Amino acid sequence: MMLARVADSLYWIGRYVERAEHMCRLSDVMLNATLDRSEAATQVARIALAAVGDPDAAKAGNPYEAAQALTLDRDDAGSIYSSIARARENARQVRDQITTETWERLNLIYLRMSSPDAVKAFEGGSQVFLHDTIADLHLFKGAGDATMSHGEGWSFLLLGVYLERAQLIGALLEVVFGEGRQRRPIRDHFALTNVLRMGCALEPYLRVYTAEMQPRYILQFLMLDEDFPRSMRFCTQQIEQHLAAIIRHAGLAGRVGPDRLAGRLRARLQYADIDELETQGASAFLKTVLDECAAIHRSLYDAFVAYPLEDRLPA
Amino acid sequence: MESTVSARLDEPASDAASPMGPYDEMRAPLGEVRPHYAALQARLSTLSAAELADRQKTQERFFLLQGITFTVYGAESSTERIIPTDILPRIIPAAEWSRIEAGLTQRLRALNMFLADIYSEQQILMDGVVPRELVMQAPSYRREMQNLYVPHNAYANVCGSDLIRQENGEFAVLEDNLRVPSGVSYMLANREASKRVFPGTFRAAGVRAIDRYPDLLLTTLKSMAADWRPNPQVVVLTPGVYNSAYYEHAYLARLMGVPLVEGRDLVVHDNMVYMRTTTGLRRIDVIYRRVDDDFIDPLTFRRDSSLGAAGLFNAYRAGNVVICNAPGTGVADDKAVYAYVPEIIRYYLGEDAILPNIETYLCREPAQLSHVLANLDKLVVKAVGASGGYGMLVGPHSTKAQRDAFADALRADPSNYIAQPTIQLSTAPCLIDGAVEPRHVDLRPFILSGEKIVVTPGALTRVALKKGSLVVNSSQGGGSKDTWVLSDGKGDRS
Repeated sequence: MMLARVADSLYWIGRYVERAEHMCRLSDVMLNATLDRSEAATQVARIALAAVGDPDAAKAGNPYEAAQALTLDRDDAGSIYSSIARARENARQVRDQITTETWERLNLIYLRMSSPDAVKAFEGGSQVFLHDTIADLHLFKGAGDATMSHGEGWSFLLLGVYLERAQLIGALLEVVFGEGRQRRPIRDHFALTNVLRMGCALEPYLRVYTAEMQPRYILQFLMLDEDFPRSMRFCTQQIEQHLAAIIRHAGLAGRVGPDRLAGRLRARLQYADIDELETQGASAFLKTVLDECAAIHRSLYDAFVAYPLEDRLPA
Repeated sequence: MESTVSARLDEPASDAASPMGPYDEMRAPLGEVRPHYAALQARLSTLSAAELADRQKTQERFFLLQGITFTVYGAESSTERIIPTDILPRIIPAAEWSRIEAGLTQRLRALNMFLADIYSEQQILMDGVVPRELVMQAPSYRREMQNLYVPHNAYANVCGSDLIRQENGEFAVLEDNLRVPSGVSYMLANREASKRVFPGTFRAAGVRAIDRYPDLLLTTLKSMAADWRPNPQVVVLTPGVYNSAYYEHAYLARLMGVPLVEGRDLVVHDNMVYMRTTTGLRRIDVIYRRVDDDFIDPLTFRRDSSLGAAGLFNAYRAGNVVICNAPGTGVADDKAVYAYVPEIIRYYLGEDAILPNIETYLCREPAQLSHVLANLDKLVVKAVGASGGYGMLVGPHSTKAQRDAFADALRADPSNYIAQPTIQLSTAPCLIDGAVEPRHVDLRPFILSGEKIVVTPGALTRVALKKGSLVVNSSQGGGSKDTWVLSDGKGDRS
């Protein structure tokens, strides 16, 4: 049993923390790649910016400025600063529900991001700054894993993490493999390596597929791998599991919709066929998956957070 | 934290006003260290200024990381700051504390009886001990509470009284806080911090433990519903994350292990109070509310409030939920009623007050009014209904024009004012820029009353960190420090 508002906040902490981490990684990869002055480097910057939803391709010409704005712009609701600030604000609202160890990690990240010295720190070493933020976000998740009860609240938090991750990786794949924007498939070794870096997937990929950079393998790895924690399939497995746990805690078995949606989505990715995907194009499939993620989010609200009171009043 | 500080000035008054000077907590008049401060003094003498500053920094970082902050509201944006905290503990010996403890217990017992009386038979008003109109016209009097059953007559379940030590070394009550007193989380956080900063001295001194407070609070709250619900569901009701005491609300909920709810989480149906959970609605039995009376129920009190729940008060009247503290307790900490507390204690308990009041002139009495008017430049004048330093004249620091304006106001509406002499708070050693210097302090202990009355052996000591200042409010350069109540060696009772 937990307050609906609290479940909502925990879920959003998960989403914002995951979003912040992904944005940090995209910025970091972009800054690192564009140390080379090559066409491929600019392509990486374009991919990164498109994947964070910035349609302005011209910004790829000045990746440092783009990364700084993406990190620290307080007026941009999509910036890393905003995500951290919102995650922390949500955490403050449920301060009684998360352990002190977990809270301290998140508060620390926020204090650094919001300090007057943040701009100086970013300018003094942007990649160190981003790298440290990612490492601290990992510490936050680790502290939560090690100190919070793995009950209902924990499941709501992770549900937020994995739904967000599925959607972020989906958006990245859409940019790289979708037919809409990119007529010619990306073949460049440098660009493909950096796409894997954006998904934090380079090292795990190499262990499976060796240093052979094939778009087909990359798609297969980031979308359909069973064990890699950032593949979309892995995310949907986790979403299904955590939903099942919440429903078990709530004693609502058989009464709600999100578990059906989650099971169907997991099966869709589990039994997907890479040859079929290649011949039909990844776009349509990605769109279906992303739509279903959004549907799970909505039905989660209907079932646990914003349910109509009339249904739940005592007789 | 909200706080009301009354007769405390920016500068010590002239020597004429306080011939003895403020009481020094650490040193006797001839400069020798009092015995209960000896161990701390010995430790301090071994630490360099740099080491002390280092410890101060450690403590501030601890507060910042924990998020023990309050919000300062500016013109455009609001920022979070830590409450200034001082690492040197304020120490109270066992014998002094047992007097404080007895005095506070006596006082709260009498005030609860007073509340039970005025919200039922009003015997004390019939007997003319407290003037009827003083009570019935107080803005904090709630006629909605009339003839309502309150278990154990425990109206003020959580009380935080402000004590000060006078020039003669005697503790006196400056103010009772029976509504929604705050600050207990700072008491607990200061303790956690000072254990880290002075572990050796702490162990050697024999300091009484305060960490049972959340447990005792929960027991107190549960005792308010235990008669009719075997295992009552307790919640803490907060106005929300933008309230300056939000940290404390979350802290207490977390340490008691009960939900922290906001008004929007509550639903009242058929005179029962529920909270919205992920599994549907769940019944609530006891609400420890940190929301003022006015805001708890828009149907009964202020209509524009969304901080409480519509219908909450009716559910309370119906006996289906307990609100702690009870609404209407403010009438017993009213500034004019304050002057009668020694009488109230004598009336109900047949005892003399163990802890004295500060001398108070009621301007509603013509003789006292003329005394006040003649001495406006020496006294502190306060409006009865106001708090937080508003509607107040500080005589020694006022201009002639201000005094004239107050004199007019006093003549026009005398019953709205009281006056007190200017008070010198005692001083305790504090770490100021690496050096140990005396600063003025007060003392806020916390008293719980449910089935029993329990005084936690500790307190929030508020400090005026600015040199010479007597203002301990956190909004005006005030800070806090840990308070060590020493054990008498007979083992802990609480």
